[in-house]
Amino acid sequence: MIKADLIKRSPLRILEKSIRGGLGTGNIGVLASRKGVGKTACLVHIATDKLFQNKPVIHVSYASRVDYIINWYEDIFKEIAKKRELERAIEVHDEIIKNRVIMNFKQDAAKTEQILKSLETMIQFGQFAAHTLIVDGYDFSLGSPEDLQKFRDFANRMGTEVWFSASLRGDEPLFDEQGVPLVLLRYLDEIAVLITLGFKEEFVRLSLAKCHECLSLGVLPLKLDPQSLLIAKDI
Amino acid sequence: MKIDLKKLRNIGISAHIDSGKTTLTERILFYCKKIHRIHEVRGKDGVGATMDSMELEKERGITIASAATNVEWDGFSINIIDTPGHVDFTIEVERSLRVLDGAILVLCSVGGVQSQSYTVDRQLKRYKVPNLAFINKCDRIGANPYKVKDQLVEELGRNAVLMQIPIGLEVDHKGVVDLIQMKALYFDGPSGEIVRIENIPSGLRDEAESRREEMLEAVSMFSEELMEAIFEARVTDNLICEAVRRGTLSNGLTPVFMGSAYRNKGIQPLLDAVVKYLPDPSEVENFAIDHDHGEKEVKLVADPDADSVALAFKLEEGKYGQLTYIRIYQGSLKKGDVLTNTRSQRNLKVGRLIRMHADSMADIEEASAGDIVALFGIECASGDTFVKPGLNYAMTSIYVPDPVISLALTPVDNKASDNMAKALQRFTREDPTFRIYVDPELNQTLIQGMGELHLDVYVERMKREYKVEVETGAPQVAYRETIGQSAEFDYIHKKQTGGAGQFGRVSGLIEPMDLGNYEFVDAVKGGNIPREFIPACDRGFQAALKKGALIGFPVVGIRVTLKDGQSHPVDSSDVAFRTASKEAFKQAYWKAKPHILEPIMKVSVEGPSEFAGNIFSSINQRRGIIVSSVEDGTFARVDAEVPLSEMFGYSTTLRSLTQGKAEFTMEFLKYGKLPTNISEDLMAKFDEKKRKKHSK
Repeated sequence: MIKADLIKRSPLRILEKSIRGGLGTGNIGVLASRKGVGKTACLVHIATDKLFQNKPVIHVSYASRVDYIINWYEDIFKEIAKKRELERAIEVHDEIIKNRVIMNFKQDAAKTEQILKSLETMIQFGQFAAHTLIVDGYDFSLGSPEDLQKFRDFANRMGTEVWFSASLRGDEPLFDEQGVPLVLLRYLDEIAVLITLGFKEEFVRLSLAKCHECLSLGVLPLKLDPQSLLIAKDI
Repeated sequence: MKIDLKKLRNIGISAHIDSGKTTLTERILFYCKKIHRIHEVRGKDGVGATMDSMELEKERGITIASAATNVEWDGFSINIIDTPGHVDFTIEVERSLRVLDGAILVLCSVGGVQSQSYTVDRQLKRYKVPNLAFINKCDRIGANPYKVKDQLVEELGRNAVLMQIPIGLEVDHKGVVDLIQMKALYFDGPSGEIVRIENIPSGLRDEAESRREEMLEAVSMFSEELMEAIFEARVTDNLICEAVRRGTLSNGLTPVFMGSAYRNKGIQPLLDAVVKYLPDPSEVENFAIDHDHGEKEVKLVADPDADSVALAFKLEEGKYGQLTYIRIYQGSLKKGDVLTNTRSQRNLKVGRLIRMHADSMADIEEASAGDIVALFGIECASGDTFVKPGLNYAMTSIYVPDPVISLALTPVDNKASDNMAKALQRFTREDPTFRIYVDPELNQTLIQGMGELHLDVYVERMKREYKVEVETGAPQVAYRETIGQSAEFDYIHKKQTGGAGQFGRVSGLIEPMDLGNYEFVDAVKGGNIPREFIPACDRGFQAALKKGALIGFPVVGIRVTLKDGQSHPVDSSDVAFRTASKEAFKQAYWKAKPHILEPIMKVSVEGPSEFAGNIFSSINQRRGIIVSSVEDGTFARVDAEVPLSEMFGYSTTLRSLTQGKAEFTMEFLKYGKLPTNISEDLMAKFDEKKRKKHSK
């Protein structure tokens, strides 16, 4: 398969359709689940899909080692290339990673202002016109809605969209009756799209808890392939 | 004198530049009573630290050559290899690591894990060298050994465990608390030579207790006995030491020590740790290749009575001739012994056998397996294996990367020309990554190496040691050519007019190949090309690859499949098929979308985060790709991939962009496609050169 077909046939087109054509500039999307369910794999898949479309991505992480993140990208790319029998895979790989920058911040030293300042420096001085920001590892239980507001303003100003991951911890219940994670309730105004990941009938499935103004839209026709950890059509 | 193997240690000191490695070595020599006065690296006394034996190193405050020295500590014999810190001299580090059994990884308590620490860490891991960490410069402002220990865990993925905690930091740094003995250690006397053991200061008691708990928990993973003892509250110092040793030897644990070499603090406990936790030569497995038995790997035994096997890992030209540092892996060496050099198959006689201490030496009668000593006046190259006559072993070849940069040298006069030849000959024997190449067309000598600084140092050394004045050209990048798609060839070489004729026809396919430089596939059926001419075809293609048609650089990544051909009963010959193949390649090359490749370097820049913008844009302007940036409070590290041709003079630029507060390292990463506009420039220049040559 060539790259163009791969983009067209990606299951992420289903996700885009479900959220009215995509997240959109200046908006924040959140993928929430318990630890170890597959948030990072999903985020990296979303990022890789952007990269295939020649859209630059900045991956922001907290206290995770850079080589781990790079390995995630390598694995997801390999899985996609294998599954779709991508032609000239090595060439495509070398070409798309030019559009990816990983920025790693140590949690204790990282204030949102500082991170945004560094991101702006990268976009301006590194001449890196990011289309999407991936923010993995932000601690919503310690953070504040103001932080997210700042990210939103930044995204608006820079013309990017932002995907966060949110780790859900603690005892049940984790969700309210509308399927919104309790820890995210106070952030809800800032979040345009909220997707939760959870086990349902053997598979990890994606549910849409918020899409722009609407809440509780139910299970998406998407699941995580247990082997490749890729987002896949749920037939 | 035969040494008890259990009482021998071969260690290296690996570190980031400027982390105080040479100062530390100097202190070790002092406490082991090898030297009687301490000199500083950039000493005011004009003497310089003892391990920096080369004048140039003394001037630049860096250590290039790995001088070996032997010291005694607590009845143990320790051979120390002082390894260079700069990535440009990586081959030196790698070669040293090969002969070591253990290492001390030195880190700066302020700078922590820096870009070069990653390189050194990778090397230690590649050669599976058990090691200890020493966090130096605890007296500096901003010292934080706890942070550095965390970095070892988080950034280098090591199971690092504090064996000590500091008593005071920065100007208040007074000593360390030993977490095994639970005692405070202070270092008295004018040079810290008296270790005073006291009770732990009350203010540190709780911290020490909780750090000891942490240490015990990590260390007990390597000893069930210790684990049981912890449960039953009967832990002894010995049990802990044994567990730490086991963890270290298995490369599962990095015990962390600390102090300040400059202020003479923490060195003696570090030496104790070297003898306690690092392996003796019998605990490390070493292998050789047996050339007489199909390159089979043979395990060497550190037995003084077995057949001798030794590796020459370092050559040094001294006042009295060539000195060859060797590590004996098996058997023993005595004065007067005869050995065979496996590479040259020549015999040599052991004349003077020497134990080295940086700039002075002591003659010895005999040395045995596990030891590192030096031989005088032996003709050999670095990396050669010496064996007892009759054996045909070679130590596994040391990985040598290809050079990525070259520099043209022109001696100013005839005298300089002679001396230059001598100097270059010696340098190439010492350093396998340093090569000479004479361009037959331009009649010019080119030196090739791993980076700008690498070549600079040799040019400097020529001036200093051989009094050779040379003019240097602009550094030249080692480009490569390759193809983008497969293409067919079908070529007839025919010369049948008068005299002996030549005839050969070859047809087949060239195609791109990801791994490796060249592969030849013989798929000729039915004897259309007689068997005896196939090797000539192979040679013909190889000859064509030496100089690509685009800009005259070697062509790589090519698989040639020879499918068919034709011969003539009288006129076909080796020469005819070689020529046919060479021309066939040229014919197919242009159809195969040829393009130019350039070396891409992995560049790591480190500096205060306020300069991140400047660093980003400097990489951008150099056609670089920023791979990642890591921020840790006020410090930022940017990893990028940048073409080598754009990196010339980067150190100067970076210095001015960051007020000298940032530094960078680089190493070869891969070959990448050169952008079209630059390719066209290079091709135009190449054509111009060719035209000029023809018009002459």
